[in-house]
Amino acid sequence: MLFLACLQIFLRSVLSGGLLWADPVLRYLVLWCGLLGALKATALSKHIAIDFSDYLIPATFRPWVALITELFCTVTAAGLMLAAWLFIQNEMEFGGSGLLSLPTWVWNIIFPITFGLMSIRYGISFIFKLLDHFRSHPPNGAQNK
Amino acid sequence: MNILKVTALILALLKAPLFLVISAFALLSFYSADIDISVVIIEMSRLADTPLLVALPLFIFAGILISESKAPERMLRFSHIFLGWLPGGLTVITLVLCALFTAFTGASGVTIFALGGLLLPALLKDGYSERFSMGLITSSGSLGLLFPPSLPLILYGVIAETRIDHLFLAGILPGMLMLVLLMGYATTRERSIKREKKKYSSKEIISGLREIGWELPLPAILLGGIYGGIFVPGEAAAVTALYVLTVEMLVYRDIPIKALPGIMSKSMVLFGGILVILAASMASTNYLIDQEVPTRLFEYIQTYIDSKYTFLLLLNIFLLIIGAMLDIFSALVLIVPLILPIAIAYGIDPTHLGIIFLTNLQIGYCTPPVGLNLFLASYRFERPITELYRSTLPFLGLLLITLVIITYFPWLSLFLTRVLG
Repeated sequence: MLFLACLQIFLRSVLSGGLLWADPVLRYLVLWCGLLGALKATALSKHIAIDFSDYLIPATFRPWVALITELFCTVTAAGLMLAAWLFIQNEMEFGGSGLLSLPTWVWNIIFPITFGLMSIRYGISFIFKLLDHFRSHPPNGAQNK
Repeated sequence: MNILKVTALILALLKAPLFLVISAFALLSFYSADIDISVVIIEMSRLADTPLLVALPLFIFAGILISESKAPERMLRFSHIFLGWLPGGLTVITLVLCALFTAFTGASGVTIFALGGLLLPALLKDGYSERFSMGLITSSGSLGLLFPPSLPLILYGVIAETRIDHLFLAGILPGMLMLVLLMGYATTRERSIKREKKKYSSKEIISGLREIGWELPLPAILLGGIYGGIFVPGEAAAVTALYVLTVEMLVYRDIPIKALPGIMSKSMVLFGGILVILAASMASTNYLIDQEVPTRLFEYIQTYIDSKYTFLLLLNIFLLIIGAMLDIFSALVLIVPLILPIAIAYGIDPTHLGIIFLTNLQIGYCTPPVGLNLFLASYRFERPITELYRSTLPFLGLLLITLVIITYFPWLSLFLTRVLG
């Protein structure tokens, strides 16, 4: 995908700006690349984050904090998906047609897709962590939360 | 509503992805202000209107390609031949190599990993003490940030809407100053040990040249292309990426085709991580500006500080702390939109401000207790981090001196842009 983007610019500089549509398409391509990359970063949990939990939180509470963080991520990503969905609906109604005579919402559809999948991903990881937690702390352990 | 925001802030310190924390802040703010939350996405989609954005993934891709290839070994051999004769030659080599490598690979962690493993044994073999060698490598691990085409420079340009070609020029003299000061210090240290100078035959010199012949012209192509008016910075990124790809894959064959998808996905992940933070901060910044936070902040600060110089001093202290805590990309994305209007109101040139920002954040990389370079070096060299605190201290002092010079002599940053820009 990056190669394609690279090639396109290169072609354009050789053809001295012959393709009018190449530039905006390229920008959307960058956006799609980035968002898909962000999705991948979610899967690998490689997002930029500050981690002071080792200093601030006593070891016994850390699993709980991790759970809360997962839940927070799930909810926020869901919120973003909702916002993106509202945005797409607006675009469908009023957006008109954009690049390559495709409606503008098609170009922006990547937002709800990314955030939706992200939310699902965090949700699943939350559920797994929760299950893990109960497995490693059988019912007796669950009392002293 | 505020409780939720505070919760998000606390979670930000506990490994919650920063972009989600910022998004949560934006979503909650717009929601409580009765504004449709789709505004958040409208702001994010405005990223597609930023023409410079394309430079980021392409330079990231080129940087990862270079760091995965055998370029570090080639660079080391080459510089041995051409700089080895200097007094304290190896320290000069270390500084120059780290600076160049960081400029092209952007995120500075790579430098310590790729070059540290080669340079530390070489320095030790040359009789330099371990403490000095580790300090040298750790503090030069982020040295090239001010040289084009470093990613933080481009990112600052994207956020501050400043011309990238100006920023590229502005970074050169301050970066040189830093390099020269560090060189001066490093070459005068530990001179008592006699080091044998290897003489290179002309045959070896030619083979060394031939070996790196394809990578050597890269800075010239890049800078010549931009300032010769052949291409704009976005296109320069494409040309660089294509050039590096061709050279590493077809000429040197360091990178097999099989490895290419892995490298692409690696650069996508890195770019994605930066892009979502950028997107989220577009939304939250919009809210802050809507609420006139920067203006109010400025008025508040102005009641206490009326001199530009005092403001710069406080800004430096603030940024050093931020630089030690946050990584450079999120620090830029979060702080620049807030500080920029205030700094402009104090009459500071945005390009100069960018150089001040990057210098601070670069120094923050090596500042205890949580500078990233210290952690990376401690991990790479398997040394306790406290030992690294001690060994970087003299270098840190020198870098702070350059910071003062860069801050209070704006012409150092602006001279080249005025002459050439």
